[in-house]
Amino acid sequence: MKSILLAIFITLTLSASCNKHQIKILEKIFNEISIGKELKIWSDNSDILMGLQQSNRFKTVENIQDATLIILEKNDKFLKKYNSKYIFVLNYCLLSEIPHSFGALFWKKGRPNIVIIKPRIEMQSIKVSKELSPYMEEKVW
Amino acid sequence: MVRRKELFLFFSLLLVLGIFLVYTYSHIKETKNEIFIKIEKDKIQQLANMFENIKNETLLENHIQNSQDLIHLLSNKRVRAEQEKRLSFLLSSNLKYIYLLTKDKSGRFRFLLDASKIDKAHFYQKFDVQNSSYIQVYKTKKAQIIKQNNIENLQLTYLHPIIINDNVIAILSVDITDKLQHNILELIKPLETFFIILIIFVFLLISMTIIQVIHYFLTRKKIFIDPLTGLYNRNYLQEILPMLKLEHYSIAMLDLDRFKVINDTYGHKTGDFVLSQSSTIFKNSIRDTDILIRYGGEEFLLFIYNRDKLLSTLEIAERVRENIENFSFNFDEHDINVSISIGIHENPNLEKNITEAIKVADKMLYIAKNEGRNRVIKYHEGRQRDTQSKDIHYVKLALQEDRVICFYQPIYDYKTGEIYKYESLVRIKDKTGKIIPPMEFLPELKHTNIHYKLTQRILSIVFNTFRENSFSVSINLNFSDFINKDIEATIVNELSKDKNLASRITFEILESDEIDNILLLKEKIDILRNLGAKISIDDFGSGYSNFRTVLDIDANYLKIDGSLVKNIDKNEKDFKVVKSIVNFAKEANMKTIAEFVHSKEVYDKLATIDVDYLQGYYISPPSPKILNKEELF
Repeated sequence: MKSILLAIFITLTLSASCNKHQIKILEKIFNEISIGKELKIWSDNSDILMGLQQSNRFKTVENIQDATLIILEKNDKFLKKYNSKYIFVLNYCLLSEIPHSFGALFWKKGRPNIVIIKPRIEMQSIKVSKELSPYMEEKVW
Repeated sequence: MVRRKELFLFFSLLLVLGIFLVYTYSHIKETKNEIFIKIEKDKIQQLANMFENIKNETLLENHIQNSQDLIHLLSNKRVRAEQEKRLSFLLSSNLKYIYLLTKDKSGRFRFLLDASKIDKAHFYQKFDVQNSSYIQVYKTKKAQIIKQNNIENLQLTYLHPIIINDNVIAILSVDITDKLQHNILELIKPLETFFIILIIFVFLLISMTIIQVIHYFLTRKKIFIDPLTGLYNRNYLQEILPMLKLEHYSIAMLDLDRFKVINDTYGHKTGDFVLSQSSTIFKNSIRDTDILIRYGGEEFLLFIYNRDKLLSTLEIAERVRENIENFSFNFDEHDINVSISIGIHENPNLEKNITEAIKVADKMLYIAKNEGRNRVIKYHEGRQRDTQSKDIHYVKLALQEDRVICFYQPIYDYKTGEIYKYESLVRIKDKTGKIIPPMEFLPELKHTNIHYKLTQRILSIVFNTFRENSFSVSINLNFSDFINKDIEATIVNELSKDKNLASRITFEILESDEIDNILLLKEKIDILRNLGAKISIDDFGSGYSNFRTVLDIDANYLKIDGSLVKNIDKNEKDFKVVKSIVNFAKEANMKTIAEFVHSKEVYDKLATIDVDYLQGYYISPPSPKILNKEELF
């Protein structure tokens, strides 16, 4: 049921500006996952960071070192040293480029797509609720 | 005032126009949405044909039997590249994405081919679809068109099923951009704006009309209802007249008796109370089918529905009269006796128009008043003949043909046994020689020029008659006569040259006209007095002639109203009133005359209270000649 609601929610939010609703979808996704400790989010996309900060649903941090979860739009080499942190990407290709990343939210043919890589979340002991099952993938194609 | 019918027509017209415009606008709007599908339809049909060719060439050549075969085939990068290249030829500025999807075992859609030049998907990458049409393609095995409202820059998505062995194994999907739609929308935007403005304008007009209608019905009450009595007023009469079936109604004119006395004696608040209370009694005495209108001050017009066999018109009128008579009017601790006179015309439809019918009812009312008030007088054929001919033209003709005459009634000095003077009374001799009394023609003349001409003729007759003898005579004048310049000129001209005649003339001021300017009346009376004439106040106790006015006028005679005199032998109250008037007159140095002395009993009773002079049928009826004392009784 929740997955249907999520799907409807995603559909309804498509018409408006991507960034604003991208944040809402991200909030929904992060609401359905558990990393065993408090979510402290950092992103290389300042708009998303600010958006999440304004929503007050998740704690955001200014410094990447203080973060427990990183949302990445681009792949920077210096990030390799932060392999201990949970990484969520905003591009399907980044799932391949950053093997440590466990999921992605991206637009394909104008439609929002969510992918959660099952082996990676299992390896990182990330718990995901059933509502995200339709978006679960065994590998990056 | 806008009439209901016109308002309704205008409103209907606007409504029809509004509906037409809304229909046209919505049709344009709908067409606007559908037009793109229609425009794209041919293109989609071409695509469908091309897809079929691709399917036949690619799938059949490779012996594809199911989706697994297809996935296996396209998992080859080279084959995939070839197929994507073929499909990419179809891409244009309007066809943004072309891709082949298949549904895996878990029901997720995955890319098999993506011929798009931008935003290209990986082979077998999951594609989240939120529209049920994708599932429908699998279920119905038919192509589906999705109208895209929520995806930026996309207008339509065409889903073409790839069917092998009667099973859908994949969907060839084409996303069509809204570039064309955007261009067309830009072109028709002014037309759309024009229609929107037009619709707003029409709806504003409709709203204004609705407001006008609401306002009409809200003010309708104020326009048609008299606030004091809560009855309909004359505006309502004008409103209903065109629709009123006169043949279904009798009409009655109702007038509260001596209402001016009530107003003058107890004040206007009491007068208003009597009017309001009387109206309630009227309403309670009539039926729902009857229509009651406040016609003037204390005058009411009643339309009595005459199709009801249970109650006759006369019975309804009598009920009204009796209910008024029996009701105890009490205001500010004053008991007020109120009665009503009613004139009825049972068949108003026989008249030329409603005005004529009301005139007839008014004449009946006048007769009711003259016959002693508190009664109902019904119009009948005999009266019809009498009254119909006695209009202004009748009097005018009588004046022209010199048929206006005077009768003289002696005013008797019972103490000396002599005739003290005579009262001149107007009559018209009709062409057959019949004598017509004034009540049958005077009401018609009120405030008309003929009335003044008639007064002048009477003055002329009386002056000429009494110039030749030594008797004294009274002439009746009403207030409007007094202030008429021509009449004044006639009197001044005649009496200033014959002082002897002037000294024998008494002008009786009639109370039938409301006197609204006592100062003017006094001014005119002074002119007459300076000529040597005397002044008498007629019908004292019935109208304007209250004590204060009488003292102000300083009259020579006080003529006691006949209604107080006629029952003096039987009615103790009347006796006391008359006695008081006599005493008051003596105090004020005025002589008293009692009229309506119709019996010996009345005569004897009046003698006991020392009235100065007597007049009435017991002594002598009015006569065309000047009687001497031997001809009395």
